Amino acid sequence: MSTAATRPRPAERRLPGDVDMWVMVLGDLFFFGCYFVTYMVFRAQSVDEFTAAQRHLNVGIGVVNTVVLLTSSLFAALAVIAVREGEPRHARRLLLATGACGVLFTLVKVYEWQAKIGQGHTMSDEFFSFYYVLTGVHLAHLALGLLILGVAFRELGPLRARRATIVEQGVLFWHMIDLLWVVIFALLYLMR
Amino acid sequence: MTDTATEDGTSASETPKRAGKREVWFFYWAFTVFYTALSVGICLLGRATPPPRPDVTALQAAAWFDKHEPGIQAGFTFLLVIAGGAAISNGIIGYFMKRMSSGGMLAYAYIATMGVGAIPGFQVLLVCWLTATFRPDRSPDTLYLLYDLGMLSYNGSLGCFTAAYTVLAVAIFYDKNRIFPKWFAYVTIWQIVTELIASQMWLHHSGAFAWNGMITLYLAVVIFGVWVVCLLALLRHAAGRETADTPALYEPKGTR
Repeated sequence: MSTAATRPRPAERRLPGDVDMWVMVLGDLFFFGCYFVTYMVFRAQSVDEFTAAQRHLNVGIGVVNTVVLLTSSLFAALAVIAVREGEPRHARRLLLATGACGVLFTLVKVYEWQAKIGQGHTMSDEFFSFYYVLTGVHLAHLALGLLILGVAFRELGPLRARRATIVEQGVLFWHMIDLLWVVIFALLYLMR
Repeated sequence: MTDTATEDGTSASETPKRAGKREVWFFYWAFTVFYTALSVGICLLGRATPPPRPDVTALQAAAWFDKHEPGIQAGFTFLLVIAGGAAISNGIIGYFMKRMSSGGMLAYAYIATMGVGAIPGFQVLLVCWLTATFRPDRSPDTLYLLYDLGMLSYNGSLGCFTAAYTVLAVAIFYDKNRIFPKWFAYVTIWQIVTELIASQMWLHHSGAFAWNGMITLYLAVVIFGVWVVCLLALLRHAAGRETADTPALYEPKGTR
């Protein structure tokens, strides 16, 4: 039988972030999962066309963006550790680095879109419809993530409450963006 | 006017003023009935959801109207009669948004954007398809135009609703009174994303992004269904929290 001394303290058992954000993350993963399944069903119906269109994507750019986003998640995770250890200024710098990676990802993605549209790959192609929608919705989430990171950054300001849960929420959302991109990269760029 | 004595000995003018509780419940149920009627009229009778195929010929479109004429006429005529229920439904949400600390401006913005969105997203569909079924002697090309115009207006009325959902999400995020929980703001964001994705239905005649596509329609309907069910539950909860002591939104400043 556990005693009060051996039982973990409530602070150790708490959910990182808050329930609201978990609803968002789990629901978002479900709906993105539906998009991914739909993509794979349509791909299975026209394997040759999808494979031919996929060859027009630049895997190198995809790898760069994957590295950028994974790096950003590392910064974000370190920011959570820093704020938990009572180093809000360091956490702020790490959040800035996370956001900078997010901006870099966006710039690379916009460059890639511009290049593809310039080459004539538009929504009239079924594969590129999925490409623009999946990467576009992901980019919209990334923009929202930058906004949420901004809220977390402000929370760590000198005159603020510096609640760790706010930073955890932002980072939780950012990790979801990272996870989604890894799946999108695998599906669109790598799966043959 | 003289005060009336009550059972506990206080005068009527001293008893707490009744807040809008009864009215709030009335409009909550009006909201519920309207959305139920909307679902029955649009989906079961009018056949707008799931929608007909976008990749048909003029003759096929005319034949489709002929086949579904009774349902469209019954369902859509009834919806035209109760169309004002949309304003009531927006009003009850606006009422609770005014209870939020985020202020009344967002509430008015929500009501206004939803109201504007109801024209292309609701009325145009009803008028187009009712015209087609009440005037079946028109040329197939004219009927085909009404078929496309109604459906594209219904499914393509995205901008206003996107703005409305954005306003609602922002209001919930800023609200410190916890009228609606914050997770509902995130659910509302799914609605925003869904509306943006659905904008492609103008480009495609078939596939996942056509107006009857898996992503632009079926997943969008699931997300909208989740949103409405959550909204109904939250409105019910919010209405239940109002008591006779809950202050009215507006206090009278004087009598005429």
